[in-house]
Amino acid sequence: MAAQPPLTGIHVADFSWFGAGPICSQALATFGATVVRIESETRVDGLRSVAPFPPDKTGYNVSGWFNNYNASKLSFALNLNLPQGREIGHRLIRWADVFITNFTPRVVERWGLTYEELARVKPDIIAAYTPMQGMDGPRRDYLGFGAVVCPIAGFNHLSGFPHREPVGLGTNYPDYVVNPGHTLIAILAALRHRRKTGRGQRIELAQIESSVSALGAALLDYTVNGRVQERQGNRLPHAAPHGAFPCLPVERPAWPGEERPPDQTVPGDDRWCAIAVFSDEEWQALCRAMGNPDWCRDEKFSTLLGRKRHEDELEERIAGWTKDKTAHEVMELLQAAGVPAGAVQTAQDVLENDPHLKERQYYVYLDHPEAGRTAYDGPAFRLTKTPGHLRSPAPCLGEHTHYVCKEILGMDDEEIADLVAEQVLC
Amino acid sequence: MTEDGESALSDVRVLDIAGEIGLYCTKLLADLGADVIAVEPPGGHPARAIGPFYHDEVDPEKSLYFFNLSTSKRSITLDLEHAAGRDLFRRLLPTADVVVESSPPGHLDRLGLGYADLAKIKPDIILTSVTGFGQWGPHSHYKAPDIVGLAMSGVMWLAGDSDDPPNRFYGNQGYISASIQAAAGTLMALYHRDVTGEGQQVDVSMQEALSLAQETSMQTWDMMKILRRRIGASRVLVMSVPGIGPYRCRDGYVFCYLGTPGGAPWPEMLRWMVDEGKAEDLAEEPYASFIQEMGLPLLTQALFDPSVPERVRPFLAHVDDVLRRFLKSKPKVEVYEEAQERRLLIGIVSTPKDLVEDKQLNYRGYFQDVHHPELGETLRYPGPNARLSETPWRLRRRPPLIGEHNAEVYSEIGLGPEELADLKGAGVI
Repeated sequence: MAAQPPLTGIHVADFSWFGAGPICSQALATFGATVVRIESETRVDGLRSVAPFPPDKTGYNVSGWFNNYNASKLSFALNLNLPQGREIGHRLIRWADVFITNFTPRVVERWGLTYEELARVKPDIIAAYTPMQGMDGPRRDYLGFGAVVCPIAGFNHLSGFPHREPVGLGTNYPDYVVNPGHTLIAILAALRHRRKTGRGQRIELAQIESSVSALGAALLDYTVNGRVQERQGNRLPHAAPHGAFPCLPVERPAWPGEERPPDQTVPGDDRWCAIAVFSDEEWQALCRAMGNPDWCRDEKFSTLLGRKRHEDELEERIAGWTKDKTAHEVMELLQAAGVPAGAVQTAQDVLENDPHLKERQYYVYLDHPEAGRTAYDGPAFRLTKTPGHLRSPAPCLGEHTHYVCKEILGMDDEEIADLVAEQVLC
Repeated sequence: MTEDGESALSDVRVLDIAGEIGLYCTKLLADLGADVIAVEPPGGHPARAIGPFYHDEVDPEKSLYFFNLSTSKRSITLDLEHAAGRDLFRRLLPTADVVVESSPPGHLDRLGLGYADLAKIKPDIILTSVTGFGQWGPHSHYKAPDIVGLAMSGVMWLAGDSDDPPNRFYGNQGYISASIQAAAGTLMALYHRDVTGEGQQVDVSMQEALSLAQETSMQTWDMMKILRRRIGASRVLVMSVPGIGPYRCRDGYVFCYLGTPGGAPWPEMLRWMVDEGKAEDLAEEPYASFIQEMGLPLLTQALFDPSVPERVRPFLAHVDDVLRRFLKSKPKVEVYEEAQERRLLIGIVSTPKDLVEDKQLNYRGYFQDVHHPELGETLRYPGPNARLSETPWRLRRRPPLIGEHNAEVYSEIGLGPEELADLKGAGVI
């Protein structure tokens, strides 16, 4: 029988919304904590109302974006704009070991959720604040969400091709791993400290700072050498070839409502395989795998220095070899020869076709009362003796309000009815 | 620069035998106060050969890439491919709580250093394994540098302009993501050990670690059978609208999200241009009324009615041209500050220089100066990822020299100067 999950008995009052906060608290829930998300119909989490939705379904409870970050949690509808709502919020803090929010500093103050106030209610609370710019400073009230964190923190300037404008990474990348991950690490460290000493603490993670920390070498190159690094596309100074190479397009059916150009090639729908060669041994293995074509014997490609100097031509030559094979064929051929390679996979590939992810059962399907059976990301790390589990699908908005009032806050039915009538629990 | 005051992990020792993919994991643990001992092969960790270098001097003691990932750690040298080296490692193991490694699955078992072997010596050891594809499964033996993880996880497919190949993210974000999940997994396992006395292995796959960064791509396929793909700056919108994406300024770029929820609506942008006398004809009809309706409602309409994009395209192009001319006339920091003053959702596209000079980061004392006596210089580093009021997260000491702590660490297991000299002679350390 598996051991109890590590965080069994840990209570989390999750006052966060959108991406980074809920992703962090989801990891705590996955490993056994009881997580109550404080939500409100008067201020619905933005992700509840955006696509993707299952066919013919709409409403606050079926968004794939929201649901993927909120499995295994309880949803508690509470109107924090009312004084009674804030009072109940504090009662929940008394129950909690960990508090998380990503509200702006102004809102944190308005709702009485500063560390000083929480610590008065619960002296050993671990309170994590994750504002965009920080809780103080000249820009603390600047607007933003993941989409501007990415450019402000430096990812856009440094990523992509030099001839192209800084278009970004196609997603709000820091929201999904970097910021929730750093927050999770801080909370776990604080939990450990509290276990040893009985003391809680205040955690403050400014999303911009946490994101900049993931770009350290470029920063040091400037502070030490005065060099402002520029976009380098897919190349690396110490590897060649290093990039994505075009492969055989894969036919796919038209999407609902999609107009398809006659040639069936949709920009951005083409297929690629990443290839990375760091050593001369890997280069020779690549040549063998390609069948040792004459051009491979050219002296100018035999060393890293030479391959870097003639990289445009090198890439063209390799593309000539990859273009009539599928991305997965190229990958399998090269990996078998000891050359690092990976198909640039689509969401369909990872969810339905990747034999490796399938065997590891990374994606988890859960039955949701409104959304139906849909896929969720599984635990991002695995513990052999205490593996994490998604225990239940994402909650419907306010699904557990009655349960939380009764079982966690110890209210009686009459009190709950009054609060419903006074529109505190909504 | 050495440890003082409390830290959350001061009683935790980590032996770090990982390659590049795990360096950020152990840096996170070290900056949080763990005693991380980097176990380097004689000659130094391979990441020491990666640039940029201090003053561009190629030297294993001057790699800024390595420096950035090695703050707060100590270093010993030890050759694990050497039987005597493995023996030394086994002797060190009882002093450790955690081992972080990234070898191809099975390799450590063959060396007699797999989880089962380690647990025989130290039953509650935590072995954190961070690799491209995890410890088992048909791809677990694939070679997986950063770009392979980005490709196979589904995130690279989404990045870049549709006219370019899919884009790699700068800065080995596959390694960074895997390391972040590995540090979180290690702390989770430590918590469990503290409570129950039980150790275990933590299995991190870079491919899985990155999966969440697909944003809505996986669910969009699952629910709607539509693939999101790379579409540059226009992202998920059905048509290109003014004020979304990168805009050139006099000295660089800003990134705009005008008309999206959370920021002031487009008419505020128009007001700004009017205030500066640079609105051209946008305050006049037909543009003035059009700008009033520009925003999410219009985009939603366009989703369901294909005639909308056709009808508004000429207006959009003109509004965009005027906006481009306006922003191009101004410095990027000025645009950033004035826009935010007006509650317009615009962020600066920071270069490393902009970040180092950033008012907010400097006000908050984000950057941290670390003295390197050997270089005779103090270097400015990116600071801690978060502020912890009781157990500070910070750079505790400068990155170690190769084998700098051999004497002090090996003396703990009773090795004197003579034995160390012998081991050095034999190429073990």
